[in-house]
Amino acid sequence: MIICIILLPIIAGILVPLLPFHKRCHKEIFLEGAVILNSILVWYLLLHHSESTFLLAHFTGDLNISFRVDGMSMVFAGLVSGLWPFATLYAFEYMTKEKHENSFFLFYTMTYGVTLGIAFAANLLTMYFFYELLTLVTVPLVMHTLTREAVLASRKYLYYSLGGAAFAFIGLIMVIVYGNTTDFILGGVLDLAKIGDRTNVLLLIYVMAFMGFGVKAAVCPFNSWLPQAGVAPTPVTALLHAVAVVKSGAFAIIRLTYYSFGTEFLRGTWAQTTVMIVVMFTIVYGCSRAVKETHIKRRLAYSTISNLSYILFGAVIMTPLGLTGAITHLVFHAVMKISSFFCAGAIMHQTDKRYVHELNGLGYRMPCVFGIFTISALALMGVPGLAGFISKWNLAQAAVDSQNPLAYGGIACLLISALLTAIYMLSIVVRAFFPGKDFDDSSLQDAHDPNWKMLLPLFVFTVFIILFGIHSQSIVNFFYDVAAGVY
Amino acid sequence: MYPILLPILFPILAGLCLLVYRKDLERKLLTGITGSCLVITGALVISVLALAKKSLILFYLTETLPIYFQIDEISVIFSVLTVVVFVCAGFFAFAYMKHEQKEKRYYGFYLIAFGVLNGLCFAGNLITFYLFFELLTLSSFPLVLHTGTREAIMAGLKYLFYSLCGAYASLYGIYFLYRHCDTLTFTAGGILQASPASPDGRFLLLVAFLMILGFGVKAGMFPMHAWLPTAHPAAPAPASAALSAVIVKAGVLALIRVIYYIFGADFLRGSWVQTAWLTLALVTVFMGSMLAYREPVLKKRLAYSTVSQLSYILFGLAVMDQDAFMGGLLHVLAHGFIKGTLFLIAGAIIFTTGKTRVDELHGIGKEMPLTMWCYTIVSLGLIGIPPTGGFVSKWYLAIGGLAGDIGIFRYIGPAVLLISALLTAGYLLPLTIRGFFPGADYDYNALQKREPARLMTIPILFMTILSVLIGLFPNIITDYLTKFVSSLL
Repeated sequence: MIICIILLPIIAGILVPLLPFHKRCHKEIFLEGAVILNSILVWYLLLHHSESTFLLAHFTGDLNISFRVDGMSMVFAGLVSGLWPFATLYAFEYMTKEKHENSFFLFYTMTYGVTLGIAFAANLLTMYFFYELLTLVTVPLVMHTLTREAVLASRKYLYYSLGGAAFAFIGLIMVIVYGNTTDFILGGVLDLAKIGDRTNVLLLIYVMAFMGFGVKAAVCPFNSWLPQAGVAPTPVTALLHAVAVVKSGAFAIIRLTYYSFGTEFLRGTWAQTTVMIVVMFTIVYGCSRAVKETHIKRRLAYSTISNLSYILFGAVIMTPLGLTGAITHLVFHAVMKISSFFCAGAIMHQTDKRYVHELNGLGYRMPCVFGIFTISALALMGVPGLAGFISKWNLAQAAVDSQNPLAYGGIACLLISALLTAIYMLSIVVRAFFPGKDFDDSSLQDAHDPNWKMLLPLFVFTVFIILFGIHSQSIVNFFYDVAAGVY
Repeated sequence: MYPILLPILFPILAGLCLLVYRKDLERKLLTGITGSCLVITGALVISVLALAKKSLILFYLTETLPIYFQIDEISVIFSVLTVVVFVCAGFFAFAYMKHEQKEKRYYGFYLIAFGVLNGLCFAGNLITFYLFFELLTLSSFPLVLHTGTREAIMAGLKYLFYSLCGAYASLYGIYFLYRHCDTLTFTAGGILQASPASPDGRFLLLVAFLMILGFGVKAGMFPMHAWLPTAHPAAPAPASAALSAVIVKAGVLALIRVIYYIFGADFLRGSWVQTAWLTLALVTVFMGSMLAYREPVLKKRLAYSTVSQLSYILFGLAVMDQDAFMGGLLHVLAHGFIKGTLFLIAGAIIFTTGKTRVDELHGIGKEMPLTMWCYTIVSLGLIGIPPTGGFVSKWYLAIGGLAGDIGIFRYIGPAVLLISALLTAGYLLPLTIRGFFPGADYDYNALQKREPARLMTIPILFMTILSVLIGLFPNIITDYLTKFVSSLL
């Protein structure tokens, strides 16, 4: 079943250029059907999962490719499969203005399968395998427009990711050598007897592996690929560079920290302090750069950098509550950021405007898009009643609860970042709705809201932002159970 | 079903409808709708205060954090003030906003801010309060930048970011309070168990200071007062009136709630936080008056005056003494009515003459006698001359300051209040003097009566009368509050 789920989108993607579609709409129906079918299968699997591990291939000794459904996979796979059908729908409309549609949908759909592979991986080796694969299938998407800028961006993305994976590989080796198994077990698999007095070496390896996986999660100083990769078409930036790819990095770090090295081993060490400082710095750094940036998509990309580090901040608190906070923000941020990216994409698609200062007065021409953008902006700021408040609340409570003075500083970073978020998001909103006295909007006569294929995903995400904000108990309780290892 | 929600939701929904409706309404219809919404909301608030059940849990945000409403004496004081000022300034706006663009947007956000303020007054725990506090900032900054000049937009953004900065500083405190209290419901006398001497307690003192600074931003407390003198002159006059009379009081309400209902006065009394707070409040009182004294632009002068007068209230709160607290509450009302009136008068002057600087207003009292008489009466009130509202409140503040257990501040406090009162006379009365006694070279032949429209004068007159009434009959309020204040302290 799991193999089926992973292979279906990959095969569907490969079939796109091969099948002779007469009309564009046939292709759309085929792709949307495949993606929805796969999402239904994923949700069916999540609701009826068994504890058993599915072994695909066996190498020597412990090394094997195998899959399993546990709590973290449920969260990540559920998130990805919930977003993908909407993103595909949005992409149909968006790609009408771009070339090479077939190759785009080929890789876009394949990525779905690969991401699910990461989610369902049962051990470090399998995750590593799909992690590398993810880099390879997404490079063509970044390169899509084939401009010089895009080629450079994709090259950078490739080198950064592969380099990071190499560091992560060292971590993998160490877990193989010093652990009982490479399977993911909540609480870690390291064998203290084998480690002996080499604790510091292992901590160093942890920091290296953290930074390695952190490349995808855009941890400072390895984040410059992400804003550059914004040259890709918006469905890619929105879904991959705000959710699937970057959150695979965060997901991998959670796996590494909680399921391989184990929090018992790491908590209170210099390694925790180091990574927490890095993460706190990234939170503030990302936001500050976002304030300075005037290109809308790059601004949102910097915002993503900062928000990814919120997730990592939760993760490196290294308590069950911290993990709960991290998971909450992992899911909630995905919805908020994809919503704001889709708004940015809709603006670009409808008006070809790319810079913040061009948006004056556009709010009256595209009220739905900017209304939704405002809601996602408020959610990202953390206004109560919207999703962002709940996830920040959980992160902050975890930090307060950990009694770690550095984490107290981390909360301050979160709030500084919230203020900066207000600045870079609301300045867009204010421009759009309050263009100033005697503003002449005759140049905007042609601009209007996009059609339903773009608006439907936006509306659905907005409903979820509000729903998570006012009724979070059931889902947060589920996350708490995941963090406590119930599933 | 939930009557307590009506005065909150009705204006918010009405405002949203006005904003979302795309076509322009005819002016008469628009003002008619807005006016009836304002009156209905006012009636709803009064009837809820009088009749409805006093508390309501709406739903739970997280497992243990409800959105919770609760009405007590503090809510009554603040919501009465809100209703009076918002209805008066609203009707004033119908005349004033004639020469502004996009009136519909103004009324929309005005109604939303009204509803949000009611929510703020009724909030029964810190999270609900914080929710409405954020919403208040978000719904009132469009009022500030309404005129749409570059200056106004920058002022609006400055207000927005200062307020958010304060709100986030307070949120930092809320995170820690939740951990130490397990609940955030407002309870008279505080709910914090920790002792200030324990390690946790020492950290909580720091948290308390941070929250005082944070919420103090809205109340214009030094060092984060700078948004006030920028925002007020930029906003349309009725918006400045609402801002100065009510919206900045949200910061005062926040500090009452946090200090007296969460931390508890006993936790802070005698600590370095109290000393620091007293110092900041007194510095602000003095500095605000000084800056107002030097300021030539009328609305900006009044804005600095607000900075100073609000810190009178904060001083009253910081003393943590029954009389001082009572004085603070009285000053909330007195200053609310007085400053609301003053800003409306400034608006009326700008509307009829187009002049903004005090030194241009020679003979204004001859042109607009009724308006300037109101100005003079409320000015005397703000200075603190009996029998107006400001006298009683300052009396209580001074008595409380002298009796309070605050060391050297017992003497410094009342002295600073007196000096500031002198300065208040210095910056308010020159307009009266110039207005009524324009001097020998004034050309009486060119004089023409130009009293503003009745929609402007009636709200001004009404609030003036109210400000005198609370000076004449303060016992009604003090009797109502005495028992409740003693339960707090």
